[in-house]
Amino acid sequence: MIIRIALLLFLSALAVFLVADVLLRLSIPVLPDTLNPIGIALLFSAFILLLANGFALISKLTAKTVFDYFSSHQRLQRRLLFIAQKQQEIIRLFHLKTAKISYLSELKRQRLLDKNNQKHLQMLSKAIDQQLLALKNHIPETQYKHLQAQHICYKNNQNINALLELQQQIAAIIQA
Amino acid sequence: MMLLKNWLSQFMELLHSVKDENLQWQNKNQAQQTKLKHAKILAENALAAKLKMKSVQLEHEISLLKIRHDSELSMFKTKCNQDIKDYEQYLNALDKLKKSIQSSYTHLPEAVAFTIHHHAKYLLNKMWEAEDMQQKMNYEMQLITFMTTVHEDAKLQLEGLATKPLPENTLKLIQQ
Repeated sequence: MIIRIALLLFLSALAVFLVADVLLRLSIPVLPDTLNPIGIALLFSAFILLLANGFALISKLTAKTVFDYFSSHQRLQRRLLFIAQKQQEIIRLFHLKTAKISYLSELKRQRLLDKNNQKHLQMLSKAIDQQLLALKNHIPETQYKHLQAQHICYKNNQNINALLELQQQIAAIIQA
Repeated sequence: MMLLKNWLSQFMELLHSVKDENLQWQNKNQAQQTKLKHAKILAENALAAKLKMKSVQLEHEISLLKIRHDSELSMFKTKCNQDIKDYEQYLNALDKLKKSIQSSYTHLPEAVAFTIHHHAKYLLNKMWEAEDMQQKMNYEMQLITFMTTVHEDAKLQLEGLATKPLPENTLKLIQQ
């Protein structure tokens, strides 16, 4: 409705300007000077009406959006979403906690295994050391030092297979 | 001026006619409008009640979920701790196995005892790390067979029935 009025005002302004132009062409002096301000006023009125209408429409929409946002329906929906999100979070947390327990348990088991491996490696190393000491006076100094260096190196690297091979090598020397 | 007056009166007439039409339409559809408004309010209330009920239901589900998760986590933690204890006991049993074979075969080289113990530990770890139940049982059977063989070898040696200086049956199993 307001747009219709604004359009009518705009068309009236155009008509007034046209009449003023025709009167000016017909060399009628006073009337165009009166009609021109009327046309301008009509044109401004049309624009102001349109602007006011737009502003009112935007304000109305904003107010409606704000009211909708704080309405009980929207609040309940947001609460529902929040609860659903919370549920998902609890499930995720449960999986994470399970993974943490598994990880810690595996770490504990690995530590036990490492400790046990270390213990038996020490025992093997001690046996090799004793065999080397027994061999010390029966083999050349360089060979003894070489074997001892190998032993220390394999022991530090925790190289079980190399230590076993070294032990076999020493046993072969003893038998020879 | 008369023209302008005429235009204004026409415009006012138009305005009034539109107003009249609007009033007539409102009068005609008032009942339906009221009905619609009423239906809208009822639907909104029903939706709000439904959402509220759903949120209460979800909150209840969350509390149940929390209780279930807590108990499951506690059970899982106990199971993990028990698993670690079992693993430790297995390691201790394997240590005893090594000691038993060493005490039976007094001249058994440390490397051989170490290899036997290492193989038993390898089977234990394979059994522990297997994710497939069938595979786990296979490794468990292998470990039990291996431990039994070691014990039998030790027993034969203690009873003086063993003919060879090394636990041959055990070593054969390792070579397999």
